[in-house]
Amino acid sequence: MLDILLPILIFAALALAAIGAVRRIRLWRQGRPSPVPVLRGLAAVPRRYLVDLHHVVARDKVMSNTHVATAGGFVAAMGLAIVVHGLGLAEGILGWLLLAASATMFAGSLFVARRRRDPPARLSKGPWMRLPKSLMAFSLGIFVVTLPAVGVLPAGFSQGLGSWLVALVLAGVVAWGLAELVFGMTWGGPMKHAFAGALHLAFHRRPERFSTKGGEGNRSTGLKALDLEDDQAPLGVETPSDFTWNQLLGFDACVQCGRCEAVCPAFAAGQPLNPKKLIQDMVVGMAGGSDAHYTGSPYPSPERGDRPVGEHHGTPHGPIVAPASTKDGKALVDAETLWSCTTCRACVEECPMMIEHVDAIVDMRRHLTLEEGATPGKGAEVIDNLIATDNPGGFDPGGRLNWAADLELPLMADVERAEVLLWLGDGVFDMRNQRTLRALVKVLRAAGVDFAVLGNEERDSGDVARRLGDEATFQSLARRNIATLAQYRFDCVVTCDPHSFHVLKNEYGAFYPEGQESDYPVWHHSTFINQLIEAGRLRLAPGQAARVTYHDPCYLGRYNGEYEAPRAVLQALGVELVEMQRSGYRSRCCGGGGGAPVTDIPGKQRIPDMRMGDVRETQAEQVVVGCPQCTAMFEGVVPPAGDEEVAVKDIAEMVAAALDTTPEAPPAPRDASTAQTTEEVMS
Amino acid sequence: MAFDALFQPIEIGKLTIRNRVVSTAHAEVHATDGGMTTDRYVKYYEEKAKGGVGLSICGGSSPVSIDSPQAWWSSVNLATDRIIPYFRNLSDAVHKHGGKIMIQITHMGRRSRWDGHDWPVLLSPSGIREPVHRSTCKTIEEEDIWRIIDDFAQGARRAKEGGLDGVELSAVHQHLIDQFWSPRVNKRTDEWGGSFEGRMRFGMEVLKAVRAEVGDDFVVGMRICGDEFHPDGLTHDDMKNIAAYYDATGQVDFFGVVGSGCDTHDTLANVIPNMAYPPEPFLHLAAGIKEVVGAPVIHAQNIKDPTQANRILEGGYVDMVGMTRAHIADPHLIAKVQMGQTDRIKQCVGANYCIDRQYQGLDVLCIQNAATSREYMGLPHEIEKSTSPQRRVVVVGGGPGGMEAARVAAERGHSVTLFEGAEALGGQITLAAKAPQRDQIAGITRWFQLELTRLKVDIRLGVYADEATIDDLRPDIVVLATGGQPFLTQVPEWGYAEDRDESLVVSAWDVLSGAVAPGKNVLVFDTICEFTGVSVADYLADKGAQVEIVTDDTKPGSAVGGTTFPTYYRSLYEKEVIMTSDLALHKVYREGDALVAVLENEYTGVQEERVVDQVVVENGVRPDESLYYALKERSRNHGQLDLEALYAAEPQPSLATLDDDAQAGFLLFRVGDCTAPRNTHAAIYDALRICKDF
Repeated sequence: MLDILLPILIFAALALAAIGAVRRIRLWRQGRPSPVPVLRGLAAVPRRYLVDLHHVVARDKVMSNTHVATAGGFVAAMGLAIVVHGLGLAEGILGWLLLAASATMFAGSLFVARRRRDPPARLSKGPWMRLPKSLMAFSLGIFVVTLPAVGVLPAGFSQGLGSWLVALVLAGVVAWGLAELVFGMTWGGPMKHAFAGALHLAFHRRPERFSTKGGEGNRSTGLKALDLEDDQAPLGVETPSDFTWNQLLGFDACVQCGRCEAVCPAFAAGQPLNPKKLIQDMVVGMAGGSDAHYTGSPYPSPERGDRPVGEHHGTPHGPIVAPASTKDGKALVDAETLWSCTTCRACVEECPMMIEHVDAIVDMRRHLTLEEGATPGKGAEVIDNLIATDNPGGFDPGGRLNWAADLELPLMADVERAEVLLWLGDGVFDMRNQRTLRALVKVLRAAGVDFAVLGNEERDSGDVARRLGDEATFQSLARRNIATLAQYRFDCVVTCDPHSFHVLKNEYGAFYPEGQESDYPVWHHSTFINQLIEAGRLRLAPGQAARVTYHDPCYLGRYNGEYEAPRAVLQALGVELVEMQRSGYRSRCCGGGGGAPVTDIPGKQRIPDMRMGDVRETQAEQVVVGCPQCTAMFEGVVPPAGDEEVAVKDIAEMVAAALDTTPEAPPAPRDASTAQTTEEVMS
Repeated sequence: MAFDALFQPIEIGKLTIRNRVVSTAHAEVHATDGGMTTDRYVKYYEEKAKGGVGLSICGGSSPVSIDSPQAWWSSVNLATDRIIPYFRNLSDAVHKHGGKIMIQITHMGRRSRWDGHDWPVLLSPSGIREPVHRSTCKTIEEEDIWRIIDDFAQGARRAKEGGLDGVELSAVHQHLIDQFWSPRVNKRTDEWGGSFEGRMRFGMEVLKAVRAEVGDDFVVGMRICGDEFHPDGLTHDDMKNIAAYYDATGQVDFFGVVGSGCDTHDTLANVIPNMAYPPEPFLHLAAGIKEVVGAPVIHAQNIKDPTQANRILEGGYVDMVGMTRAHIADPHLIAKVQMGQTDRIKQCVGANYCIDRQYQGLDVLCIQNAATSREYMGLPHEIEKSTSPQRRVVVVGGGPGGMEAARVAAERGHSVTLFEGAEALGGQITLAAKAPQRDQIAGITRWFQLELTRLKVDIRLGVYADEATIDDLRPDIVVLATGGQPFLTQVPEWGYAEDRDESLVVSAWDVLSGAVAPGKNVLVFDTICEFTGVSVADYLADKGAQVEIVTDDTKPGSAVGGTTFPTYYRSLYEKEVIMTSDLALHKVYREGDALVAVLENEYTGVQEERVVDQVVVENGVRPDESLYYALKERSRNHGQLDLEALYAAEPQPSLATLDDDAQAGFLLFRVGDCTAPRNTHAAIYDALRICKDF
């Protein structure tokens, strides 16, 4: 009986899965073309899954093991079931292997079930709640139907009327399992993540993220350039179908684990953004429909607690954000959601499916800014300023060195070549950051570094423009900065601004004129100072007794992987470093990135307040940062009543204060007969 | 960016200055060593540079010639090459912090004294006497003229060789150059007088000689007046012509403009406007000069606040703002603006303690900042945290001495409780601020209030601390700043009684505080002749009383400084207050509803009477010593100070006993008037130099 039913069930499931797959692929193909190496991509899947994806998943050991058991068990069990039950080849060890695989899967599904008993808020409910049962149905069903095949149960146990019933029940259980796990994969059930996820790994828009046999993948955090010359390409993403097909595929890979939600600073601050919901909204959009079936945490709403689901809807070719003319102002996603993002990349860093949330958000912002002129808050003013003055504050572009009028900084225009090109950033216009810059200059001079600045030839790096969606202004700034840099010779660029650092290092490469490329390393000042210390070029007088904590700036840490150098510098200073609970790659954003301070989307609380709360928990006297934005955000925080103000120091200021200024050798003893010179009396 | 205009660098000649703020030239009265810039002098300017000021012009009225005497005001002496290495120290110290420094050079002509030191014969274009210094002089001869022109050039050379960034030729305050300019003083008919060109010639020859000596890569500026405010003096239009005439040479790198001449007591008061003046009262004169010259214009005079300064610069009235007294009060003014700590700036209140000392030939000090010009002694502007254990410090009395003691102790990191009997901090400052045009002095209290709040000092207002209150806090250190009370019991015949209904006289404090209503017909007897007497007279007159202020001294207000008594006199005369001198208050008696004040002539003994309804007596202060004597014997140090340590600004040796557990009790110190009645500066200095080592 079963040997008739099982092959039918298995092959029917596979056939349905195939039909589902075609339908699903057609959904993705609504997106814009994006050529990929199909075979090489597919061939890379195992490694990308087992190494890169697992690297992320393994941060949660229990879930990682659960997934290995369940998914590994399933893949093996399914493959073997096709052979054993589909093709009836139960000979030898195959049956036993199938038993082992399904047992492993069952063990894994017990852990899945345990997690679903009292699931954390970040997990989606709905169909996901039945998943452990489906997993158990499949694994248990396959296990039991395999027992006769290895002779543990008599082959004829399903003969006779009673046995018929048993067989039917077993077939039903297996059918349930197959429905969820096989054709559910392509028809949109929870298991869709496996199908879309595997293909997403194969056709990822940033293949360079993944490791190869040759070595680690690079971080690939720079935004992709928009081709402004291409008349056909839309300026950003207006409708779901404006995404490239593999971006749509990426959205479909979402497993709704909510790790992104748990780390999103905007979500925590009660701003109307939940990265997981955003990705699900994109999935809704590509298939058409409303978000009524979403079963995770909705977008927070400062006024109403949560934004109800079911009020938003979209189609593949309909606008994602409602144009101003729409009656109820609602489409798939509210603009506020997109503008709440600080581009901190915490979501991307945590996503086990390697989804690129920030790319998607910036793509949609590009449309709003470039096509609609709908940059909110002070965003439009900042862009206007950048266009008019090459700096976001609208300051006199001739005043970039006003803060340093007494420092006599060497200008590249005068010296033409230097060991270090010191990139100052737009912090030159901010009195707080001017102190950091002065400290940095003091440190460079103490180390005898041959450096020069561009002065008024420098322009804003374009970071804010780009993240506010104004790709045109960004590219204009980038090209002009590149042309300026190309005039001079220097060994490296050093900057105290991680945003400039990131853009110069990772995003300018695409804009070099044909035949030219950036051939200089770019260093964040913490890295460079650490090099100076290691080379013995700085004399420090350690012994600052302060208890400090260090805040990893997003654009230094997650974007560029520099976590060690600042800590090494602090160690060299001899200060006591206490880490915040969320530090390193899990550092929480200060709220200052991505133009968030200028778009200023209201929430229930402010992101920097939360971060300073993290700082306070460490009972540190000072928080050390390495970013002008972070400094500004933190210094804007008013401590809770009764709490001491925590000092905010840039790492350059810490080093400058610790410079050993005593003469290297003790002065020669004075001959008593020598009259004191005037200088000695006076000094 | 806030303060954008303030932080715009500027080119003066070939010199770049980092911001638009100048400490303009004033006499420091510090160059005591035969006119050499002493350690004190260097540290004073170094502190300003460290604090961020763009440019300091030092050495107000520094003479270039031997017959323009240096010693009266301990001015810097540019008449000798000996100065050059001293200048190098000065310029190095300022340049080290990114600042620039120039010096004002001059020949004072008749505006000095001849009756001392070298007994010089003073000079002026036509030998006319100068009234403020009561100085007579000879008519300058051609030989003197050419000698002095060369002296200017040599003086400028010495400044340049000493590494300074420039010189400012003083043609203001009726020095020799503007003595030649002024037809009121220059009656010559030769080529050095008469016509406009003739009167301009001396200054022009000086400018040419100086420029020829120092070349183009050294700043040469001129400080001029905007309007002499004398009926027969140089008017604003004259000054525009003069400025344009010199500017046309292209050899003047900047003009400093001072509103008002100053060769009478009344006009002198304009030059350094005290708290009676509105903000920037003479800006329009500087702006008028700016209209006609190409060189940058600097203007000082009552610009005390960075916001005000920024507004003036944004308006384009002048190119640089002088904030000279503002930097005497707080040499870290600019740094505090840059730190976003504008509310921590100790703002000049215009008490003019600095300049009034200077005119007496005393070193320039600040009424509210005892560290200024004492940097060389190690008195700090920024108090560092102590490395000793945290102490419990109790300060009794919230006047200037007590507030400073509490501030300094709290900055040192100690736990500080401050008791004040009144409902507000301030002590006698609160009373001083009640008089007309004197309200700004309360700025001293306002700053302390902000600082003490920031430093989380436990301020207990309305509490008269006694032994028990102090013991409850188990203090390690007690600082008494309990001040004193008006001294009305000295002459029993005045009829003072504690019961106000019985007392025939009231104190100035009673009136100013509002405890006693102003009378209608009031006699103020002021034997002290400082601020209190004229303040109370002005206050009463302002409330509508008929007032006569009588003193047995030479004139009411005669001990009020030279830039301050004129503003009192303007106010008192306008209100028809009668000022009578040489009469002492002999006795007061009651006659019906009226009071009769018997006055006795100091020199003849002749008595006369006034029938009034209120007699106010200002006879200074008697220290309030009761709490001191109650605590003295129990204290570790019996309230004593080691004077050698104190005067050397070193730690009191008694502080070392605090770590000796075998000894019980607290250290006891007194500051301000509760020791002996002195002034605000003395109280603050007492507190700073004792408490900085806690």
